[in-house]
Amino acid sequence: MHPQSNDSYQLRSGTSISPLQDEAFHNLLNELLQQLPAKFMMLVDVAGQVLVAKGEHSNVNLVMLGSLVAGDLAASQEIARLTNEYQDYQIVLREGEESHTFIAESGNYLALFVQVGHEVPLGWARMLITKASQQLEEIMQENEPSQEEVAGFELEMATTLEEADDDLSDLFGDALDDMWMD
Amino acid sequence: MRINWQLRRLNLKIVYYGPALSGKTTNLEQIHLSVDPKRRSDLVSLKTHEDRTLYFDFLQLELGKLAGLTPQIQLYTVPGQAYYEASRRIVLRGADGVVFVADSDVRRMRANLVAWRNMREHLQSFGIDMDKFPVVLQFNKRDLPTAVPAATMSKLLRLNGQPLFNAIAFKGKGVLPTLKAITKSVVGQVQKELA
Repeated sequence: MHPQSNDSYQLRSGTSISPLQDEAFHNLLNELLQQLPAKFMMLVDVAGQVLVAKGEHSNVNLVMLGSLVAGDLAASQEIARLTNEYQDYQIVLREGEESHTFIAESGNYLALFVQVGHEVPLGWARMLITKASQQLEEIMQENEPSQEEVAGFELEMATTLEEADDDLSDLFGDALDDMWMD
Repeated sequence: MRINWQLRRLNLKIVYYGPALSGKTTNLEQIHLSVDPKRRSDLVSLKTHEDRTLYFDFLQLELGKLAGLTPQIQLYTVPGQAYYEASRRIVLRGADGVVFVADSDVRRMRANLVAWRNMREHLQSFGIDMDKFPVVLQFNKRDLPTAVPAATMSKLLRLNGQPLFNAIAFKGKGVLPTLKAITKSVVGQVQKELA
């Protein structure tokens, strides 16, 4: 359910990415990168956390860009909601001289950022990005880890925690102390 | 919260909420200053020409490897000014925990109360039970001669046992304890959910 249709959607994203989903994201983005072709693309969740980046991004600060992409899309969604123009798989397009950028919504949890060269037709790019956004959402929905897999992950985590012989929240607190410079 | 089981990565989102000029951005600036640069991102600030938060500030912390996980904490602030209501709601989406930064100045008590109620309303509209959601309070600007006693502020906000910290954020005082408390509270909640 999308935000425009019901205000009672969950605040916490609470998403869990399985190895299968992770692999499917990589495969899909590799394909899209070649098909468009794109210079660079990045899949982030709605909190701005980067899941996958493809293409040339050695000079890109992915963490900063991730937060801005998520913020940009969230603002666009809210503008659309307030003006009753909301639709699924919204795309925000910015046209530039050398390249164009797209920020596409992909379901409740994900956003796709794509940068293409100016030679790539916008209609072509829009079509492929919309399709990819739908497929990404399907991956989120269909490839959810099974109950057995989740139980396995949790058992592994519980075992690790037991071995750590400490409370996890204390470990986090100690880690923050360690990284703090007086 | 997002867990990438492939990478064993745990991502948590913490939002600093509060009235205008209470010190939300200052908290993130102090964290940015005080944390080893190898363990944090750059600070993203979307500000107006008047240096007020327009949309959000953002900072990511990398905690290294903990109990087989590689946790990342994303810190956001909301814009405090009243007319940025829609932006506050957007930033609050997906939060795993909230730090409410209250201004201790006696002249800001009404603003604190309005922001506190406003935050509760947003959380409730998202279907969140405030009593089960990690919230930590920070009473900032304790050095002001006009600072209201913490007990009075607690009563005004009708606090219900939430962790509370006094701070002078621009001097860095109280910033780390607040961050540690909300992080531990969020992690405790994650543990409960995984149990």
